[in-house]
Amino acid sequence: MPNPFRRVTAFFLLSLLAGCGKAEPVVKIGFVGPLSGDQAAQGTDMLRGSELAVEQAKTKEPVIPGYKLELVSLDDAHSPAQAVATAKRLAADGDVLAVVGHLNSSCTKPASAIYYEARLLHINPVSSNPEISRQKFDTFYRICATDDLQGPAGTRFAIERLGAKRIFVLDDMTTYGRGLANEFMGAAKKAGVEILGHEGITQGEKDFTPVLTKIKGLNPDLIYFAGMFPEAALLLKQRQKLNIPAKFLGGDGLFEPALIDLATPEAAEGMYLTTLGGDIHQLPTAQAFVQAFEAKYGHLGAYSSYAYEATNLALEAIRRAGRKDRAAVLASMKEMKRYDGILGAHTFDSKGDTSLRTIGIYTVHKGKFQFVEAANL
Amino acid sequence: MTPGELFLQQLLNGLTIGAVYALIALGYTMVYGIIQMINFAHGEVFMVGAYLGLTAVLSFGLATPATGGIARLIIVIGIAAIGCGFLGLLVERVAYRPLRKAPKLSVLITAIGVSFFLQNAVMLGFGAQDRYVPEMLPVRHWGGGTVSITPMQAVIFAVSFLLMLGLQGIVYGTQLGRNMRATAQDPLAAKLMGIPVDRVIAMTFAIGSALAGAGGVLFGVYYSTINFHDGYLTGLKAFTAAVLGGIGNLPGAMLGGLLLGLLEGMAAGYISAQWKNVVAFAVLILVLLLRPRGLLGERLAERA
Amino acid sequence: MKRAVLLLLLFLLPILDPNPYHTEILSTAALYALLALGLNIIVGFVGLLHLGYAAFFAVGAYTYALLNLHLGWPFWVGLPVSGLVAGAAAVLLGLPAIRVRGDYLAIVTLGFGEIVRVVVTNLEDWTGGPNGLMGIAHPSAGPLRFGVEARPYYWLLLVLAAVTAWACARLRRSRIGFAWLAVKEDELAAGCLGVDAIRMKLLALALGGCVAGLAGCVFAAKQGTVTPDTFDFIQSMMILAMVILGGLGSVAGAVCGAVILSVAPELLREFAAYRMLLFGLLMIVLMRVRPQGLFGSR
Repeated sequence: MPNPFRRVTAFFLLSLLAGCGKAEPVVKIGFVGPLSGDQAAQGTDMLRGSELAVEQAKTKEPVIPGYKLELVSLDDAHSPAQAVATAKRLAADGDVLAVVGHLNSSCTKPASAIYYEARLLHINPVSSNPEISRQKFDTFYRICATDDLQGPAGTRFAIERLGAKRIFVLDDMTTYGRGLANEFMGAAKKAGVEILGHEGITQGEKDFTPVLTKIKGLNPDLIYFAGMFPEAALLLKQRQKLNIPAKFLGGDGLFEPALIDLATPEAAEGMYLTTLGGDIHQLPTAQAFVQAFEAKYGHLGAYSSYAYEATNLALEAIRRAGRKDRAAVLASMKEMKRYDGILGAHTFDSKGDTSLRTIGIYTVHKGKFQFVEAANL
Repeated sequence: MTPGELFLQQLLNGLTIGAVYALIALGYTMVYGIIQMINFAHGEVFMVGAYLGLTAVLSFGLATPATGGIARLIIVIGIAAIGCGFLGLLVERVAYRPLRKAPKLSVLITAIGVSFFLQNAVMLGFGAQDRYVPEMLPVRHWGGGTVSITPMQAVIFAVSFLLMLGLQGIVYGTQLGRNMRATAQDPLAAKLMGIPVDRVIAMTFAIGSALAGAGGVLFGVYYSTINFHDGYLTGLKAFTAAVLGGIGNLPGAMLGGLLLGLLEGMAAGYISAQWKNVVAFAVLILVLLLRPRGLLGERLAERA
Repeated sequence: MKRAVLLLLLFLLPILDPNPYHTEILSTAALYALLALGLNIIVGFVGLLHLGYAAFFAVGAYTYALLNLHLGWPFWVGLPVSGLVAGAAAVLLGLPAIRVRGDYLAIVTLGFGEIVRVVVTNLEDWTGGPNGLMGIAHPSAGPLRFGVEARPYYWLLLVLAAVTAWACARLRRSRIGFAWLAVKEDELAAGCLGVDAIRMKLLALALGGCVAGLAGCVFAAKQGTVTPDTFDFIQSMMILAMVILGGLGSVAGAVCGAVILSVAPELLREFAAYRMLLFGLLMIVLMRVRPQGLFGSR
């Protein structure tokens, strides 16, 4: 009986010791996103943006003299619990001076509290829920627009361009989805449009025919879905199978080519979505990035440019701090009056949100996303 | 759309998934009937069937929604069924047979282990994201305009019905079926009668798994996306269906499957989609507590 | 004596090795040791195969979260309350289940576990839905800075686990422990000897649930956030696997199993994708080769 006990203890202690004794001067930027699971396509795309930024930085002067630069990427699989765990890991790692992440608002929000406690600079690329910055964490910065803009922009487009008068709203019950749906409905009610119903669907669920059948019975002009692309693809398919004539409008979570593959081009044809930002191919400041990215990875996804921007912003803050000290990095970020990135010139308000806020409208035509216009804000 | 038409549409949709549940439930019920074991890994066999079907469709270029689509679909179902049949044989031989005399706990844990293993193996092989399954049949709408049934739904009904009929034929019309029934009734006596009990049990697993595999293909083509997680939840629901109908009872499994699909669809359509999964679990618990023999089952003997 | 030395060593570990990431791992191990000990009472001592233990972990976590966020109750009050509420929940959910036999019991507990999770996910107005609750307060205890440093939580969990282990060992050798053993071995015979099987089972459920509740409360405070996806079937299976690996009924085994299975994924990070695969394989092989686990007897 003492034998297995001793073996276990020895194994345990040995493995602990194995962790000690690493003395290479290194500075790290943490990246967290959904790298596994059904949203992995978007997460990987974001990671590539970060990787490109770090790669390019390595070819220039070191960010802090004497230190090697490293990108640590962790996977939160769009699970808030895992997001908290990865946040704790990064917070505990003294080499990490800034974090870029996460993708989903439901992950970013709890993680931001961990980074705040650890006094670690947290730059968020694409989580658009406005509640996150309302927490007033001085470690939190965001470089994209928020849903209190995206929702009403969608409403305006639906009413003015699509002529919708009767709308049914669906969301995926996440922080992002529920928040965006509420913003959309708030603006719709103010405009006097009839909301026929509001239901939640669960992420990971496959069969939406019951709720879609119910929607079919109510005969709306438009179905609005605030959620992510895997569920949206299924909704589009099943809407087609049930022969529902209503138009379909969604949020930026749908802006991923895999949506069209999963839904089939026929089912996705003619759908609309709002995005956080205009057409990057038309932005002169972004062209160098677009070319470099497409040369290395082939196709450009929805979020890679934001991750690239966020990573470079973090690098700039570290560079200005000049030393491996989280407080110094935070201070230099606070002092940065303006940052000129590939998306334009950012200035950050007291909550950490950027001044650069544009919402774009896209549609799907012949199996591809097509830019329609920049939304009226 | 009138309330009546709405109801009819919900009914149709519920029965469609119910038919798939029934196919999987048959596997659970057969195995439980013959060796009193809950094959926790059966749901994963169903999931593997869906992936086998996808692989068949992609590698043989069978995804063209032209006439003859049905024939190709049948071929794909056949491939998946045979593949899953072998998988069932393998699992039985390697994981369960050595534990034939072991306590129930060990067998259940082993089954859960097999379940995790298969799930993860598929995830590693095919990726964690949803995989798209091409349409095998043209997307049309039959019916009176508002209430529609798609060809795929009709095929699911037809195939399930034929398979269940076939199973009844095997169980009540062949020597193997007689052996299965005898082994289920009294394994020792069956052995004494010269029945190759081990082989009979293996065949039971094989047939049950084949049915689940067929169900997997139907499921995959119907929903057009599959994920390695599908086995766990659907398996649990199919098990509920088997228990609802009376575990060990074949017509019970079929009835239970259809009934559960119906209940789920109605709850999702008329109450709320979010609570859909609770329906299955609630039914399971209620049945186990209030009427453990299910709707059609016989009184279960008290075994320790 | 040997055990006291070991305990002292464990206490001193984060001082000898101040790396916060390592302390984090130790905390996780201690947390799971606590959970495994609790489940061991139910599965190991009485033989009730419970596949829904994570539900009580959830109840404890959410109880403290709600009490803290809505009523401002501090951690040290929330801790015992969480334990009691979780224990009560275990009894309530167990009442219908204990009359059911063997594998059916397992499925019923699985079903209850899933129902709790789905209910928590859907009652968004109360529980925050899939996004959970955040902003849960840390405990405060004099100079110990919970949350800012990693060590205080580790020490808290270590104390809880040690006390629970001691209590379990004592219980096992008490009249209650023998009654449990009798029920586990042969319920009918135990009844003939005057053992009230139902009461014994409920007692085990209450105690096991209580332990999970305590663990849940500490977990909620430590993470600052609780979300329903933490408390799924995989979590229940993980804890069960720890108990089985250690050997059903063995207190030392539960702790060892917990340490091994919670530390291993951290060490084998590159194999993270294979985690479930290896886990499944472990279960299969273990049942074949050494079903009694590391420390069990049979």
